[in-house]
Amino acid sequence: MKPLFQIENMSVAYGKKSVIRGADLAIYPGETCALLGLNGSGKTTLLRAACGLIASDGKTQVGEVSLDGLTDRQRAKYLSYIPQMTALVRGKSVFEIVLMGANPHLHLLESPGPTFHQAAREALARLQLTDLREQEFDTLSQGQKQLVVLARSIVQDTPVMLMDEPDSALDFRNRHLVLGVITRLIREQQRAGLITMHDPNFAMAYCDRLLLLKHGDIIGQIEMNRDSHPLIQEKLSQIYGPIELIRHRDSYFMLQRT
Amino acid sequence: MAKYFRLPKAALFSVVLFLLLIAFVISITHGQFPISLSEILAIVTGGEVKDITARVFFQLRLPRTIMALMAGIGLGMAGNIYQTIFKNPLASPDIIGVSPGATLGAAVSIVLLGSATLTMATGAFIGGIMVVMFVLFLVRLSPSHTMTTYVLAGIVMGSIARAFIMILKFFADPASELAAIEFWTMGSLASITASKVLTIAPLFGLSLLGVILLRRQIDLLALSEDEARMLGVRLTQVRLFVLGLTTLMVASIISITGLIGFIGLVSPHIARMMHQRNNFTTTILSGLIGAIIILIADTLARSLLQSEIPISILTSLIGVPVLVYYMFRQKELRS
Repeated sequence: MKPLFQIENMSVAYGKKSVIRGADLAIYPGETCALLGLNGSGKTTLLRAACGLIASDGKTQVGEVSLDGLTDRQRAKYLSYIPQMTALVRGKSVFEIVLMGANPHLHLLESPGPTFHQAAREALARLQLTDLREQEFDTLSQGQKQLVVLARSIVQDTPVMLMDEPDSALDFRNRHLVLGVITRLIREQQRAGLITMHDPNFAMAYCDRLLLLKHGDIIGQIEMNRDSHPLIQEKLSQIYGPIELIRHRDSYFMLQRT
Repeated sequence: MAKYFRLPKAALFSVVLFLLLIAFVISITHGQFPISLSEILAIVTGGEVKDITARVFFQLRLPRTIMALMAGIGLGMAGNIYQTIFKNPLASPDIIGVSPGATLGAAVSIVLLGSATLTMATGAFIGGIMVVMFVLFLVRLSPSHTMTTYVLAGIVMGSIARAFIMILKFFADPASELAAIEFWTMGSLASITASKVLTIAPLFGLSLLGVILLRRQIDLLALSEDEARMLGVRLTQVRLFVLGLTTLMVASIISITGLIGFIGLVSPHIARMMHQRNNFTTTILSGLIGAIIILIADTLARSLLQSEIPISILTSLIGVPVLVYYMFRQKELRS
């Protein structure tokens, strides 16, 4: 199978300081990959560079299409983005926010037609948000907001979804809810997902593959369905130091070794 | 914006348009030279009226009322757009430098070329546009193109313009020139004529049309920069277009009316309170509310005393209570 999203030899520097050095990654259709690393390891920088939000060296490709040199507008047809927290957007209804996902497919002055209205309604229904349709976006809980932004991504309808710690502002229940919805969507619609995450336990529970980032280098990866228990523990300890990995039914839990 | 009782859009527009109609009728009939509705009807249908009544109507009253309408719509809409794209509820034409620029332009004309209204208007228009162009140029030179850069560049250019205004005021003749500059900054529709309105009408119309066409992009500018870019918004171009168009709108108005305070600030707040949303409908409502306030303020400005009162005095007097009410209501909503 060919990868749906590919980054080759990506490097990012802030001035003279090199933050990401020659990163390679490939994500296959239906797969969700987590970018794991400690604070300052370069997770968000790598994701923002993959989005094209900051300048980088290297190649980015979606299917057979190279994204290098494309404008924001052209890129938005291939990549969608869910930020850690959405900006304060006063006075917009949930439906208006979801409909904004149509923008990359419209001309500058064009308004979204019935097809996009229908797509927005379907996206809201899929995430069980129909009742919130006319509610003001800013009055929602963080979890609901993230689901609305996810609905916007569904309307944007891109093959690749990039997410910057979409669960970090959420409580325990909402984290499970949001990550579950995201990974199921990616699997069912055969998209490719890349998520930066803080918590390896949630990453192990929801992602197919974990990419381990340390000091700007991808030092290894964990395939959740293939790698053995001891191997996963060994790889995680390269980032997190002395840890204990516990298996309960089909799930892994990481604890700090004292 | 809290969940209070919310009027349906059609009802809201009906109420606002009805109030606008009343304000329009009052404005067109009242003044130092009252013209009754039956006289206006006779003028429009070609009936018999005194020559002077028809002349006052066509040359002074109608242009003045239409100008008040245009000024309200333009300043109200521009205010809402500035507040949306700068994500700042206190943003007004000052923020991007158009008001200080126009004042500088008017001051230069007054001191160097005399206070003929046409030269003043031309000077104000050129000043307003030029200062905003410098602001945008400064932003282009800067490595960062965030909204904060625009605000900072606006402050820089606004301050430079104000410094030059102070220099001009310092050297101006206190009896005539200084008074003319001060009077300009207080705004007035007293010198509006049909030809002036017709001169700026195409510029106003063009900018209004542009803003209406770009309404969806203006809504997208309310998002964070990263989100907007990832949704394919051409940030730099769209911002440039929107700021250019709103500047054209504001500059075309204030070049012939002088500065009119508070409308760009207060109308969007009233519109948001009424609509409890902030989208392009709010922008249009903001324009209509601005028009109602200016029509009332201008009618009072020419009726209260024997001589004309500068309009900013009245728009501020009307605007301040609204802003105070908003301030207290916000507190109440939070508690």
